[in-house]
Amino acid sequence: MAINAEREGSVLILRADGRIDGSNASDFLASVEKEFDNSDTGVILDFAGLTYISSAGLRIILLIAKDLRGRDVSFAVCSLSSSVAEIFTISGFDQIIDLHDNSAAALAAIG
Amino acid sequence: MAPYKILVVDDEPDLEPLILQRMRRAVRSGRYSFVFARNGLEALQKLREQDDIDMVLSDINMPQMDGLTLLEQIPKVDPNIRSVIISAYGDMKNIRTAMNRGAFDFVTKPLDFKDLRHTIERTLKHLIEWRAALASRDQLVTLQNELDVASKIQQSILPTQFPTTRRVDIYGAMEPARNVGGDFYDLIMLDQGKYGLAIADVSDKGVPASLFMMSSRTLLKGAAIGNPAPSEVLADVNNLLTEENDTAMFVTVIYATYSPESGRMTYSNGGHNPPIIVHTDGRTSLLDPIGGIALGVAPGFSFPNDTIELAPEETLILYTDGVTEAMNADHEEFGVERLLTIFSDNPPSSAKEATLAIFNAVREFAGPTPQSDDITCLSVFRKAVSSK
Repeated sequence: MAINAEREGSVLILRADGRIDGSNASDFLASVEKEFDNSDTGVILDFAGLTYISSAGLRIILLIAKDLRGRDVSFAVCSLSSSVAEIFTISGFDQIIDLHDNSAAALAAIG
Repeated sequence: MAPYKILVVDDEPDLEPLILQRMRRAVRSGRYSFVFARNGLEALQKLREQDDIDMVLSDINMPQMDGLTLLEQIPKVDPNIRSVIISAYGDMKNIRTAMNRGAFDFVTKPLDFKDLRHTIERTLKHLIEWRAALASRDQLVTLQNELDVASKIQQSILPTQFPTTRRVDIYGAMEPARNVGGDFYDLIMLDQGKYGLAIADVSDKGVPASLFMMSSRTLLKGAAIGNPAPSEVLADVNNLLTEENDTAMFVTVIYATYSPESGRMTYSNGGHNPPIIVHTDGRTSLLDPIGGIALGVAPGFSFPNDTIELAPEETLILYTDGVTEAMNADHEEFGVERLLTIFSDNPPSSAKEATLAIFNAVREFAGPTPQSDDITCLSVFRKAVSSK
């Protein structure tokens, strides 16, 4: 799992690939939080390269969402593969996380 | 802190005053203290009498028991003592033997005291690190024992007695992964001969997850006993779990009520894998997941429910993703497709048979690949009851 960060205006776009599971979930959270800047108005997690996320990974998504909501920063997740999208749907996380097909759509929604 | 205690073993009587003289500063400052012995036997006796000796500095050639024999004996008294050997300059044969017998280092005669001090310090530094490693290993063992106890407590709350009557046939099992973790199932007696069935999977593993699992299970049982509607039970438990849930842990749950009499099963889903039904001809179908959210994520959600009727000799199976996400050596997942074909040639004739068949299929698929998640299964077989 590797993380790559870039900014589009005041929106932070983080790309993660590989797997997020119990073995690296807290590392994932730490590397995401390290990229946060107080001037960010939005954060997008681009999961185009993500092959798997376990419930431990979903928990980290929830922690990130709660943290950003508390600081009034918008948050979206985009570019889920069909198997990762299914995990979001089954767990009901699609009901509380703003999901988009690609980063352009996510940017248009929260930018 | 007490000084490091060094046992010096040499048959040469002049060495004792020499060492005390040359090391007087370290002795006065409380860094070292010395004990002396004249041969290996006397050294062993000192080691047995004084269990606070940290290291041994020993000559090789001595009467009664030489230094090389002593080296072999020291670990039997205390394997954590470190030894440094004093040898004649260039005596590689004895030095090699001493190193092979576990000496930590060697110094040569005539003694260079600057080098000796350096060697002693290096030996003690190694000893300190070694002891720290031993201490953390012991802590880890203690912690692991506590986790094993937690894991046993956790498993002991799962029902292992299942009702067997003319109509009722229910059987569940959980195979925990190494860590204390997150899965549970439950079977709750309700009014009018109905049963509450639950299967659940807590996000993540470890002690926090197991505590969350315990409270989820208690809340679910409490809510289920007072309320016949699965959708309301899940909504209640969700609101209770969401209160002050700073850890963002959550639990996915299927909760169902089942009437053995009519075969009717009403279920609600909190973000869990949809159950399956095995039909009498061996076909298996997935139930509608009906889309509720995992419990503990956010308050105020409602949970839809659905009702199905289990035909005689059909089997309902609730399971956790430990089944579908079990991996084999090629990093392939067991997957839903395999789950759906387990019974194609051999539909189960009891709930126990159904549950065990799934465990067997997963075990066979995974082979020697270690299990990374709890595997849990709860089955209901609808007995055909002849009307009299």
